[in-house]
Amino acid sequence: MKAREAIDLLARHRGEAVAVCALGMAANEWWAATKSEDSFYMHGAMGFAASFALGLALSLPQAPVWLINADGSLCMNLGCLLTEASQGARNLKHFVVANGVYQTVGGLAMVNDGRTDYAAVARAAGFSRARTIAALDDLERQLPAIAAEDGPSFTVLQVEPETGFLRTPPMTYEGPEMKYRFGRALERRFGIEVFGPQGY
Amino acid sequence: MDVSAQIHAELTKCGVKLAASLPDDWVAPLIERIAADNGIRHVRVAREAEAVAICSGAFFGGVRAVALMGATGLLTCTGELATLNLRHQIPVFLIVSQRGSIDDHRIYQEVQGRRTIPLLQAYDFPYHVVDRPEKIGSIPDAFETCRLQKRPFVLFLTRRLVKGEGAA
Repeated sequence: MKAREAIDLLARHRGEAVAVCALGMAANEWWAATKSEDSFYMHGAMGFAASFALGLALSLPQAPVWLINADGSLCMNLGCLLTEASQGARNLKHFVVANGVYQTVGGLAMVNDGRTDYAAVARAAGFSRARTIAALDDLERQLPAIAAEDGPSFTVLQVEPETGFLRTPPMTYEGPEMKYRFGRALERRFGIEVFGPQGY
Repeated sequence: MDVSAQIHAELTKCGVKLAASLPDDWVAPLIERIAADNGIRHVRVAREAEAVAICSGAFFGGVRAVALMGATGLLTCTGELATLNLRHQIPVFLIVSQRGSIDDHRIYQEVQGRRTIPLLQAYDFPYHVVDRPEKIGSIPDAFETCRLQKRPFVLFLTRRLVKGEGAA
């Protein structure tokens, strides 16, 4: 399956989930599929969307939180798996779009070139629910159960590497505007106070 | 009340409900005290930038958070502090040991002592040094300043504060 197909399918099954997206391909494709403001799109801190999502999930246990990660980002912070497993956040689902390349810079090969079983790494880190799905029809069949199961869970979406640039445009706002759109969206949905009475 | 208990009490006044930490020996007693508090969710991390991002995520859950680490760990986080917190104006409150200070005679902390504050100044990250027990009461003001300035804020703890006068 292709990354766009996998992410489109995730978007159709997200239900009420709040999403946190790793920078680059994951963020751009999630924006293209959902145009959602109750999603946080990382523009930096490569590798740390996972930690951001964990902090959000622990702080907002009433919200399902889906992390749309990518293999390049995961490899930059593999230790996140130990932290996630140790915290046991039942509302957190970790998806990894794995294409084996740095797609955003033109499809250059990643470290270890397809030899790593990320689901096995997650299991070894302490995840009891971890799997790899490579076919679109398998993903469609399994997603309702994945969405319904307790977290933390870890699902690798093994997609085809694509040559060159995907050229999917990023979301149309950034920086502080993203902070306020995301924070206000969560305030409206969950009745929480992210910003104080003076707006900061 | 010892120094760790006083800092813990001030963080409670700030409404802190989540702490993420990776210890050095100066902040270790404070971390263990926080870990024993059932009112604060404590997250032990594998590297310090995780703590930065966890606290940033907690901000959007409406939860007040603190990251605790040593000065060397702070240096490893500068990329994430810049590209996550500066970029999006997300406040994150960090409590950090001020290693390499004039009374810290450890050769492996010497560079941290000389370069950490100039580095924070280059990024325009505010900081505040707590070097005496009487200054611990400034923590709520520091925490609010962090939120108001919408960026990383470093609260340094000195050797004299955490180890006491004349400690080896």
